[in-house]
This record gives sequence, C-alpha cells and structure tokens, in this order.
Amino acid sequence: MSSGKSGENRSTSRGDLTEVAECVWEIARTGGMRVPGRIYADERLLPQILSDKGIEQVVNVAHLPGVVRYSLAMPDIHWGYGFPIGGVAATDPSEGGVVSPGGVGYDINCGVRLVASRMRREDVADRIPDLISALFRDVPCGLGSHGAIGSLSQRDVRDVMAEGARWAVTRGYGTEADLDRTEDGGCLSSADPSTVSKRAVERGRPQVGTLGSGNHFIEVGFVDEIYDEARAAAFGLELGSVTLMIHSGSRGLGYQVCDDYLNVMQDAVPKYGIDLPDRQLACAPVESPEGKRYLAAMASAANYAWANRQVMMVLAKRSIAGVMKASEAELGLRLVYDVCHNIAKMERHMVGDKEKLLCIHRKGATRAFPGSHDDVPDCYRSAGQPVLIPGDMGTHSFVSAGTLTALEETFGSSCHGAGRVMSRTKARKMARGRNLADELRGMGVYVTAKGKATLAEEMPSAYKDVSDVVDVMDRTGIARKVVRLKPLGVAKG
Amino acid sequence: MVVAAVVAVAEAPASNPSAWVTPCRWRTNLMAERPHYTEIDHTADVGVELRAHDLVSAFERTAACMFDLICHLDEIGSAWSRRVTVRGRPGDLEHLMVRWLSELLYLSASSRILLSQFKIEEFDVEGRGAGGESSIVAQVHGERMDTARHSLRVEIKAPTYHSLRIEETPQGWAVRVIFDT
Repeated sequence: MSSGKSGENRSTSRGDLTEVAECVWEIARTGGMRVPGRIYADERLLPQILSDKGIEQVVNVAHLPGVVRYSLAMPDIHWGYGFPIGGVAATDPSEGGVVSPGGVGYDINCGVRLVASRMRREDVADRIPDLISALFRDVPCGLGSHGAIGSLSQRDVRDVMAEGARWAVTRGYGTEADLDRTEDGGCLSSADPSTVSKRAVERGRPQVGTLGSGNHFIEVGFVDEIYDEARAAAFGLELGSVTLMIHSGSRGLGYQVCDDYLNVMQDAVPKYGIDLPDRQLACAPVESPEGKRYLAAMASAANYAWANRQVMMVLAKRSIAGVMKASEAELGLRLVYDVCHNIAKMERHMVGDKEKLLCIHRKGATRAFPGSHDDVPDCYRSAGQPVLIPGDMGTHSFVSAGTLTALEETFGSSCHGAGRVMSRTKARKMARGRNLADELRGMGVYVTAKGKATLAEEMPSAYKDVSDVVDVMDRTGIARKVVRLKPLGVAKG
Repeated sequence: MVVAAVVAVAEAPASNPSAWVTPCRWRTNLMAERPHYTEIDHTADVGVELRAHDLVSAFERTAACMFDLICHLDEIGSAWSRRVTVRGRPGDLEHLMVRWLSELLYLSASSRILLSQFKIEEFDVEGRGAGGESSIVAQVHGERMDTARHSLRVEIKAPTYHSLRIEETPQGWAVRVIFDT
C-alpha cells in the first residue's frame, strides 16, 4: 500500500456483473484483482446491492495477497469499511496469504445463539411485556453496559479468553451440553491471552454478560412456519414453540483488540510490501509474527464473546423462568446452537483437487457446514449445522442448515442477517414524528430499547427483506431453509 | 497537501504546560456547543464531514463531532479533565487522526466519561520531537456518563480509514471520517 487512500476507486454497475449460475453473479478480474468477485443475489436484491459501495469493496478484497478462488459476497451484502458486510474471503498462507483485522471487524465474534423451549406461543401471549422487562433488567443493555456478573479481575479476563464458553460453564453458567451446541465448542484453542493488550483486558473486565447497543438484541419469538420437518425436528424446533435469540459479541475488549492490531498492521503493510486499494484492509501474512499474534489475539476475543453469550443466555433463561414461575427444565429451555459471524479462522477446504489449510474471513457471514463435517456436533449429523439468521425486529428471523454445496462453493459460509439498506441517518429522518414502538406493537412485537435513536435506526424498513436473502441461500443450495421465527418481544441496547 | 510540521498553540505553551491557564468556562460545569458537521449517508455505519480553518482545529472539531454523535455536546458538562498524549507514524496525518480519535474513545469507554471539549496544546505531524513519532498533546474535558441525564445516541466502536479524508482546500481544512457503529 502506498499511503493508501481509497475506498472510492471505482463504481460498479449492473453491466460489470455476469450471471454464472442461478443467483450467482461474477465480477471479472481486472486491474490489481487477484481473483474474480462473486455475489449471491436475485433480481430483487441486486438493485439494492448496487445502490451502495458494497460491490466496490468485494473488488477491493480481491486484491488481498494470497486470496484464493473468489472474493465472495452473500445476499445480505452492504457497504461496510474495508470488507463489505456479508463478505467472505479465503487466503492461502502457503501462497503468502494474509489475515486482515478489517476482514473480521471491531466486534470480533459478533454472533447469534438460539434457545428452543417447550413453551407454546399461547403460554406467553399475555406475558411478553413482563418477559421483556425482566430480560431488560437482568441482562445489561445499552452503550457501555456493564455489571452483569460484577467486574472480573484481569486474571479472570485472561482465563475467559483462554477458555471461552467453558469458563462460564465451570462457574455455573450453563452445562456441558451447551458447549457441544456452540461453534468450535465455544473456544478457539489458538487463543493466546498474552497477545491481548492491557487496555483490552481492562475494557473486558466489567462487560461479561452484557448485550451492548446498536443492532444487538434479545428476542422472544416463536416458530411460525416450518419448511423442512426433519431438520426442524433435529433442531428441536416445533411449530408454535417459543424461542429466545441473543445477538451480541466481544464488546469493548474485541473493539480494542481490533484497534490495537489495525495499528500494528499499518506498519506491517509497507514492511511486507503489500499494495492495497483501501487502508482499512491493512493486513499481514498469516505466517508473519504480526499475523500470528493478531490471530491469537482475535481468537482470545472470540472466546470472550462466547463466554459473554453463554452468561447472557443463562441470565436470560433465569429471567424467563422467574416470570413464568416454572423451572428452566419444566420450560424445556435448551440451546439449539451458537454461531459467530465476524471471524477469521484456519479451516481445511478443497482448492481444485487439493485440500488446503486456509484463513477464512467471515465478515457478516455465518459458517454453514454440512452434517458430515467433523466440526458439526453428532446431534446435527443428519440435519447439518444450524445457520441462524436474524431479520429486522418487526418481521422474521430464520434458521437454515449448512450444506455440502456451501463447503464446495463458499468455503462453508452463508448469510448472517437481513442486511441494511438504509443509512442510520436516513432511518432517523424517516422515523421523525412516528411512534415506532406503537407501530411495532401494531405488528404484534413489543419492543424496549435503551438508546434514544435505536428504534428509529433499527426500524424494519432500514433492512432488506430477510426472506429474500434466505431464499437466495436456499435456491443456490448453500443453506437449506428450515424454520421461520416471528418475534413477539425484543429488548435492544 | 502541506502539513504544518509543528504547531504550537498559543494558549498552551508546550515548554511549560503547567503555565497554561484553564479558561473560566471550564472551571464550571458548562455545556459545550454543538459543532457544525454533515452526517454521511453510509449504509451500515456513521460518518461525518466537517471543515475547519486550520489543521489543529480540524482535529479538535473532528473529536467534538465524534462525541456529538454519541451524545449531543450541549448535554455534556466539562467538570472532568484529563491530559492526553497520542503518538503516530511520522508524516502520516491519517494515522495520527485515527490514533487521536481512538485514544479519546478508549478514554471514554474505560473511564465511562463523555467528552465535550478538546484543546490541542502540542501538534507535531512530522515527528520532529523526541522519538521521531508524530504526536498530539491535548487537554480534554467532559463528565461522567449518566444515562439518566445523557441521551446516548449511538455506540461508536472505532474511527476507520475507509474513505478517510483530511485535506487542505481553498476554504480551509476538510475532514471526512467514517466510524464503525
């Protein structure tokens, strides 16, 4: 990278895209691109996708040293910084492949977990405001939220980063079975807390078990449609049963790790003679000291995020049990799965006829492995890995299942959400003079938010139609649609 | 782009910081004025564009805009104060801006403080001082975050390099920053 000005180097139009298969669009290699770009989208989503700079960012990512096959974008792609949100890129360390903190993002291991229950929609119909108030009270929400389980010592935070979700389980927050139903068992063994700065540790001390703000949420919903009976049964999701979904990440600790290493990468880029079109893509070879240290620190933050969601889930289960005046066992509250959607991981994938160890960046993309993959727990062998796709707070969320096609085409990755289509500024303008909480109540969703502007910025029309996004993944065979969830109540930061 | 190598700010002699006299308005807990800026229509994140007559005030103003996005500055007092030192790569204005804003966000998050006033006392882009790094020394003011009094608007995770612009124009300095939210 020279001095690295950019992010606005070229615009992409419909004419630059060639449909190479149903719902798969290719951007040919030009200029400094090392691989072509590939975007998963249908005719309905494409105009929205072309309306911002997301596709330019797909092109930018294709410039990364060692990137293999394609710079990929899922149908929820939108303009981010560096990588697009909904971007997937694999780099080959044996070919000088790099790791880029911008390909993970500040909220390292931002992710989703879904809890199933035996409760029926009718059981909670008149308890939703009570449930949401209790969740809001027991799981700290909002900007800088803290104090869910007290402030940890620096040593405790280092243990959290080394052990991940297990740290929570050994302290009474959940069970061994929860770990089995968490991506990577809730712990990346490549974590090395000594690579995490004191500042990051300090920020992590008060925030285990807290939701944060922005698009993070806790949602009570129910299964309102089943598309695949067998897989739904394997996931323990029955029509009309109540669910709990939690969306959060690694909080201030993760932001600090990203910030610290983005700074390290600013020096690594000229040191390794890397040329990039956007400075936010700053990176270092996976095998370099800088790359190794970042991956170890990122894994530490990812483990913190898994512990965070594990603690939050247990606090939320206790809240629900309290309101429903029944035990968690009686209510049948059970983790379905926990996925992360902001991460870089070393995974084995086929490139041509060779199996290679690649660094897979998923920035706003969810792992979607088939049941046959070693990393999928035995309980989901026949169904495939659950892929959790939260929509906007007014409409729906979905559960899909990973496939062999995903492994072959997208390095085992699928979409992660609806994808924004409207800026926060525009959403706030559109919300002026409206009572969004009342509007959502009219749609059957009870919402409480901590932040003043959160409801406006996160209103349903600010997002693409999540059904369209999930359908593209289903039609292309990347992730099979299993059930649809309808929200009843949402607590937002 | 012409970058002033060392800008000594008149009210804050670098040689003797303790001689710097705190203006009256900072001794009381007065609210700051909201800065003028334009919010960029970015799909996922939040960005600002602003102008300033010189480079130092461009840095001060960008910090003010960032905190105004978090909570309108006219809601934030100034009873709390801290001296901040930031270092960056010599001759790299973008790096110095990102380090400056990141440092202030860290200060805010770690001390649960909202900042409202920013006075840069020493500003050295070229790294002519000790260590050969670019640097900023500033006195910043704010107050403890109180969710009962402060209407928090958005959580800013970090300033980004994406589309970052710090340029001298015939009308003064123009800055654009996109923040991850």
